[in-house]
Amino acid sequence: MTTTMEYRDRRAGSDAAVTGTQLPAKVAAARASRAFDLVIAVIAFFTIAGTFHLHFMLLAGDWDFWVDWKDRQFWATLTPIVAIMFPAAAQAYLWEKFRLPIGATLCILALMFGQWVDRILGFHMWAGLPYSLIFPTLLLPGALFMDSVLLLSRNFLATAIIGAWGFGLLFYPGNWPMIAAYHIPVEHMGQVQSTGDMVGYVFTRSSTPEYLRFIERGTLRTFGGHSAWISAFFSAFVCMIMYLVWWYVGLFFARTNWVESPIATYLGVKPKANETD
Amino acid sequence: MLLFIRSPLARRLLLWANLLILVCAVSVVGAVSAFAHGERNQEPFLRMRTLQWYDVHWSTTDMKVNQDLVVTGKFRVFGDWPQNLAEPKLAFLSTGGPGSVMVKKESYINDVAAQNSTGLQKGRDYSFKLVLQARIPGRWHIHPTVLVHEAGPIVGPGKWVEVTGAVADFKYPVTTLDGRTIPDLSTWGVSTVVIWQGLWAAIGLFWLLWWMRRPMLIPRFREVASGHAGRLITRADMFVGAAILVGTVTLVVGGVSWADTEYPRSIPLQAGKMQTDPLPLPDSEVSVKVLRATYDVPGRSMKMTLLVKNETPDVLEIGEFTSANVRFINEKSETALRNVDESYPADLVNHGLVVKDDQPIQPGETREIEIEATDAAWEVERLTSLLNDPDNRFGALIFFYTPEGVRRIAEISGPIIPNFLGTS
Repeated sequence: MTTTMEYRDRRAGSDAAVTGTQLPAKVAAARASRAFDLVIAVIAFFTIAGTFHLHFMLLAGDWDFWVDWKDRQFWATLTPIVAIMFPAAAQAYLWEKFRLPIGATLCILALMFGQWVDRILGFHMWAGLPYSLIFPTLLLPGALFMDSVLLLSRNFLATAIIGAWGFGLLFYPGNWPMIAAYHIPVEHMGQVQSTGDMVGYVFTRSSTPEYLRFIERGTLRTFGGHSAWISAFFSAFVCMIMYLVWWYVGLFFARTNWVESPIATYLGVKPKANETD
Repeated sequence: MLLFIRSPLARRLLLWANLLILVCAVSVVGAVSAFAHGERNQEPFLRMRTLQWYDVHWSTTDMKVNQDLVVTGKFRVFGDWPQNLAEPKLAFLSTGGPGSVMVKKESYINDVAAQNSTGLQKGRDYSFKLVLQARIPGRWHIHPTVLVHEAGPIVGPGKWVEVTGAVADFKYPVTTLDGRTIPDLSTWGVSTVVIWQGLWAAIGLFWLLWWMRRPMLIPRFREVASGHAGRLITRADMFVGAAILVGTVTLVVGGVSWADTEYPRSIPLQAGKMQTDPLPLPDSEVSVKVLRATYDVPGRSMKMTLLVKNETPDVLEIGEFTSANVRFINEKSETALRNVDESYPADLVNHGLVVKDDQPIQPGETREIEIEATDAAWEVERLTSLLNDPDNRFGALIFFYTPEGVRRIAEISGPIIPNFLGTS
């Protein structure tokens, strides 16, 4: 039967408790620390993959789902703005608590994993849609840029101004090598279509009519054919602001507060005042 | 196993867990594939008073992968359009079915290409044509569908078709305006996507592993908390960070340069609205007013008293009553019988339209006529839920025929009274 003293020794990580493995205390502690790293990393990856993916599906949604929604205006503007929230908050937490400049890359890689799982299992294997219609957006160039700016500047304000700006600005050119193939002109039924339009037209989505596509609307397309660059710069500007807001959101939720638990008292595990060190 | 567990709480929990697993297993094993897509679940006012489909024809019901199915027909945009729905100013012709089992090669409204959406006029008729290509083997229920902005998909009659072959054989080749041949649109560009995303994922993983190769959480947290955070960033870290920064920008610029070289002629996604005029109106019409309409609930029968005014120069007879894709044919009208296309789903055709006064209607004559449309289809198609609608109105088309077989179409709509007792 474990005595109260032994229990407290184990909690304190004393030599008596950990030397049962015949390892020096420091080695055992290091191993435990690495095991802890691994467990947390795996949990964090899948948690972020789930939550960030949900967030991204709700906010970027169709712009990210379909090739014929990836336009020069709304996709290019909106996607980085809604995608920077998790990376900014994660950067705040991992940098301020651990000096790890990996928050953005971790979040975006987790999102990418979630997206591909969803696209393969849900969109392709279940709904039967082809990959040319449903491939996800690429956000990693901006994330790597933002992480490296944080590392080199060691300053969140500089990261907001340069890193978050780059996150928005690199989005469209970072995706262009993938989507350029879907912008080749095609003649179909006597009209000019892009290949992306053709993919969306041919592979029917029963309840997603063409008029739902929120693309190329408004007066921005009158700006001398430079919609993509104007959208990218505007998105980059908004990303700076979003970064600052979500940095502080990340810090807010990373606070460590001690709250006395009444449950511990009810369960009888709370040390009495005269037993505390 | 339960016998070996002494704790009553643990035994109870384990028992419930086993039951839960059993229920899940039974529900999975017993599940069958669902092939319908909710067409009967649409409220009757939506099906009766928005679009009335007619003359719908399927070119075939059996095809191999890559073979075509052509669906043609017409629809009337109902004049008594429900007030609670948006006007049909923006509509898109498509198919209703389980995903992309059939791909859409071509679509036309009144012979105008319908890649884009169009506006429709109430009270007018439109013809449509859908050219579909079989993609995934199976038995599929395919509807023509017009999706109306802020009113939803309005499905036409559905037909079961059988697709055989292998999905791997599917091909949809396209020739582009810059002379390139795309062997299959379903795989076009996917290899570039995989390579480009894979390359970036590898760089991202390298960046994570670079930091994860050293102890991460507890030692770093202690260092930061003790005010020695500066020790955690080495010169090598700074060097790798700078390389990532420069490499990222270089790779993006290089990627854009490659894409512009590979695809020098590109256009933006095409967005716009097409313009389609409705089919021309006939020179003269027959007008029909609903004097009274009741639905006999136990007898599943709709009974209507109509005031018919023949403003055409021809003698007319009532041949068909159709609403929400269910057709009631007057068997006494040979022209009406001839007009029932063999490809039309048999479960949606009833040959028992009763016309109480079936004497031909003379030109210029106005006459009260009673008709009855009785069929279980009112229940099967869930059209009787009309009686629970806050706007208790029905809508339908009546087809009149001249002795020469010329058809005149009249639109009818009005309030409908439920007869729960079925005594009248």
